[in-house]
Amino acid sequence: MEEQIMEFASGNEMAAIAVKQIGYDLMGYYPITPSTQIAESLDAMKAAGETDIVMIEAEGEHSAAGICYGASVGGGRVFNATSANGLLYAIEQLPVQSGTRYPMVMNVVCRTVSGPLSIKGDHSDIMYLQSCGWPILFANTAQQVYDFNIVALKVAETVRLPVVVAYDGFFTSHQKKRNYRFTSDKSVRDFLGKKKEPMPLFDFEHPISVGSYMNEPYLMNNRYQLHLAVEQVRTTLPEVLDEFQEISGRDYQMVERYPNNEKEMLLDDTEIILILLGSAYETAIEAVDDMRAEGKSVGVVTVHTLCPFPAKQLYGACRNAKRIIVGDRQDNYGAGGGSLSLAVRAALQRFGSSIPVSNIVYGLGGQDFVANDAKKMFDMANNQNSDGNDACPGELEYYGVVPGEVDKEEIQPYFMPLARERTQMGITQVEQEKNKLRVIGGSVNATAQMPKRLAPGHGACPGCGIVVNLNLLLRAIEDPVVLLFQTGCGMIITTPYPKTCFKVPYVHNLFQNGAATLSGIAEMAYRKQAKGELPEGDIVFIMVSGDGGLDIGMGSALGTALRGHRLLIFEYDNGGYMNTGYQMSYSTPKGAKSSTSHIGKEQYGKSFYAKDMAQIMAASHIPYVATAAESNPADFIRKAAKAAEYAKHCGTTYLKALSACPLNWNDKPANESKVIEAAVNCCYFPLYEIENGITTLNFDPEEKGKKIPVGEWFAMMGRTKHLSQDQYKDVLESIQAETDRRFHRLREMSKHPML
Amino acid sequence: MNQNQILPITNESGYYEIRLESIGGLGANLCAKMLGELGLTFLGCNSACFSSYGSEKTGTPVKGYIRYCKPQQEIRTHAPVEKPHLLAIFHEALLDNRNTIPKIGEQTKIVLSTRLKPEEAAIRYQLPVSQLYCVPAQQIAMDTNSRINVVMLGAIGSVMGFVQCAQLEEICKMTLGKKYPDALMNNLSGVRMGFSKVICAEQKHTETGREALYGQENPTGQKNATTGKPEMKEKKNEQMTHVKWGYQTAPIGGINPWFGNSVTNDLSPSRQGYIPIFIKERCINCALCDVTCPDMVFRFEKGVYKGRAMMVNQGLDYVHCKGCMRCVTICPSNALVSAKEEDYREKPYDTVNRELICVPAEYEERGADAYITSEAYLTEKRMDGGEV
Repeated sequence: MEEQIMEFASGNEMAAIAVKQIGYDLMGYYPITPSTQIAESLDAMKAAGETDIVMIEAEGEHSAAGICYGASVGGGRVFNATSANGLLYAIEQLPVQSGTRYPMVMNVVCRTVSGPLSIKGDHSDIMYLQSCGWPILFANTAQQVYDFNIVALKVAETVRLPVVVAYDGFFTSHQKKRNYRFTSDKSVRDFLGKKKEPMPLFDFEHPISVGSYMNEPYLMNNRYQLHLAVEQVRTTLPEVLDEFQEISGRDYQMVERYPNNEKEMLLDDTEIILILLGSAYETAIEAVDDMRAEGKSVGVVTVHTLCPFPAKQLYGACRNAKRIIVGDRQDNYGAGGGSLSLAVRAALQRFGSSIPVSNIVYGLGGQDFVANDAKKMFDMANNQNSDGNDACPGELEYYGVVPGEVDKEEIQPYFMPLARERTQMGITQVEQEKNKLRVIGGSVNATAQMPKRLAPGHGACPGCGIVVNLNLLLRAIEDPVVLLFQTGCGMIITTPYPKTCFKVPYVHNLFQNGAATLSGIAEMAYRKQAKGELPEGDIVFIMVSGDGGLDIGMGSALGTALRGHRLLIFEYDNGGYMNTGYQMSYSTPKGAKSSTSHIGKEQYGKSFYAKDMAQIMAASHIPYVATAAESNPADFIRKAAKAAEYAKHCGTTYLKALSACPLNWNDKPANESKVIEAAVNCCYFPLYEIENGITTLNFDPEEKGKKIPVGEWFAMMGRTKHLSQDQYKDVLESIQAETDRRFHRLREMSKHPML
Repeated sequence: MNQNQILPITNESGYYEIRLESIGGLGANLCAKMLGELGLTFLGCNSACFSSYGSEKTGTPVKGYIRYCKPQQEIRTHAPVEKPHLLAIFHEALLDNRNTIPKIGEQTKIVLSTRLKPEEAAIRYQLPVSQLYCVPAQQIAMDTNSRINVVMLGAIGSVMGFVQCAQLEEICKMTLGKKYPDALMNNLSGVRMGFSKVICAEQKHTETGREALYGQENPTGQKNATTGKPEMKEKKNEQMTHVKWGYQTAPIGGINPWFGNSVTNDLSPSRQGYIPIFIKERCINCALCDVTCPDMVFRFEKGVYKGRAMMVNQGLDYVHCKGCMRCVTICPSNALVSAKEEDYREKPYDTVNRELICVPAEYEERGADAYITSEAYLTEKRMDGGEV
């Protein structure tokens, strides 16, 4: 036994500790709730010099999986962690990795797959992985998360397959409990040994080709090799678990049951067995204790491997039951149950069992599962239900659904619909003038008359800039608008079901794909108008995204711009993934601290310059690109009107606003207008527009005598104020130089129409 | 070590349970973590803690849960704490409605952050005075230059009755000392002040006394039929604006046709003691407040100002004001000024949204439901300079 110490930690924290102790070479990831804390914790450890793992925050999960694949092919020990839609976005890469047989470990912190979007936990994501050729270990507790991560890598390298460690989002990932971990990293590293590379890529004496073009008859054999490797896990895993028990004292089997003592659980007696996956198994143990104390013959069983599925062990654990209930935390719609129950049925059938099995879908979207729920599930098998019918007819049941109540009076509208005539007031008008548009009217006071497209009551933090910017955009646009929000704070704060802030048509889609989705929506409206199914008249289609959405959704936005759909892309840039707790985005200022760019002796914050999205969009030669700030509202309104006008008639337009985030910029909500003004005055966020290819600088702080050093702006925010310290002088100087370079380049472009 | 001495009371599952009620930004999450760690490290218990996931943006309600039990017992449940032995309320405004604090047991000790005395708070919020402990946490945090969460940690530890102040200080050193060494001394004095300044009612109230209290102040006057004791005002969602959409009644696909119904949210609990006050005589109707307000609070109507037809400021919709004070900063004519909310039970120029055709009969008594999930960053960040 190796020496261990107690650790009060959550599942995510235990995963990070395991990764650090293993000494991985590289983690490629993209932040997604609830898995992000693993990368955050590792980044903090790295900043403090406790690990030298290479941390790469990709611009999306697909790229993250690619980075991991590349690093595995390169011979490293590689780690990734993701959840829900992130997993689905990455999924194309996963069979590539298993098919070419490069080991790594990925943690899947289980969460509901969209849509409607839910951040809470169920198993709808992990079950998509079952045909990817990745063995899947399932941990029910934070302790198991730690232990299985160590075991998984050894299994992965033994059978040469990538392995997943899965566990419940929030229930396991976020609840802090008592755990034990090895005192010394050496215990873990000795257990794993050094990584062996049978055919290294960087061997220039023996070059290899990875990723052949392979048809029949060869592919069949390749797949059979993969099948054999997955099957090998059935023998390898128990061996590795035994070895692990020797150093840890913790005994794990592929199938676990409670009560687990043969004497206690006289199997012949245990009439009803409930099979559950994940944290719910732990919860059900409490119910089993209570019910057995009342003399009821019940037990609970779980599996620790989803792939390969431990059919034999499972059958062994419940072969004498009178009745089996399987709780599924997802549904394979139309298949008669979720993946777990289908696998259980197949396993029992394989061993000739005729024990009746009923299955219940429960706990979707993180719906709590408490001991009483487990008791009710047992009772559903035991008794007839209140209707007098057999509550367990062998058909799928949904547990915890409610029919709802109808009350027509409740659906009284609170607002007048914003039909065309209610917003077309002629306050802000746009005229063609040579090669440019000119805005008439649109004063700050007059546009106060414009009905707000959003109702109050949203859940943004006090002082949040998102709605400020949205309202500035929309007060200039008099035509009906259709809004599409990509995932982000702006979406979350406005549409927490059953509430919505929107008084106009609104659609959400995931943030890889908002611009493409709006392309489809807009084209459909134009087609309907052409067919006479929708009245003529301008409609402004607006895609609203944070800067994060335009990292992962950059390709979609550029594709839309290149195709030239008539719509407006509006970016509120708060320089971070604020919705998930401020991980750095590509727009985060260099040097800024974030939860994935901590400050410490080894790091000064984010290591690269902010992405210049406006110039990237300009390179697609769309008719109108502009930047705007709430500190210059008249300029903002004018640009919004122009962007909308071009979007109606000419093609894709792009407007970007710097958006304050008091929570994560760590400044006072009341001061945000001044902070934004400082960003403009220090030339970090220059106000300009590019109209039909011609750049105009709208506000030159140097000419107006308002220019301040970037450091002055940085000092206003907790996230960057450390950069004023002497030790970061070089970093600050490099940012100042880059800021000036970008600004002066813009000024030259503004002077020379051909640039 | 005799565990029964450590945990004087436990529920039928063997747990001693604590629930924290707060709003995002006050550090309740970190407080829960420290209490959890306290149990494991210093009290010789097994312990677990977690926070509500779903409402961690600044100003929105947050709950923290802590469980202790004997060290040999496993904590297998993942359920929220429903009937805590100790309920700590970090933000007084949460008490203006009952939805945020459902189901208080009769044994529940309540630690309330307030400047009121227990007798006064019991009357104002209809809380049982014999179970109520009050601590002026915000004031202490300001005096000691610490944070509300460490003051509350001290107060909670004191009311628990089986924790020593030195143990709370140790846990504070462990959790905060490494990351924020400069702030540690202040935080330790915050803990000590919280521990010593939390008070209960001066005179023990007899049952009759409580009845008399409720008789005067409990507007419902309801009594529990079996015990004869007055009941806490329960959730009253039934009469409210909450939608009861289920699988038979919800529009398919999660589509929400009830446009703009977020207006039924009352966001006033997001405020932290301050509101903007409108001084109409000073207003020049520049409408910058309307531009800067993230919560669409200002009501401009067509009117005349200095002989010119223009949009004229009519006042504020305080139901949706989160107290960010952006408008006070931006106002060029000092027509909007910051004031303590408690000084203005009646707010001048309190108005409703201009576009409402039907004013909600009652507002949903809570903040909006938004979320941030990464506690790792949230819990650390406000230590070094954000607002309390």
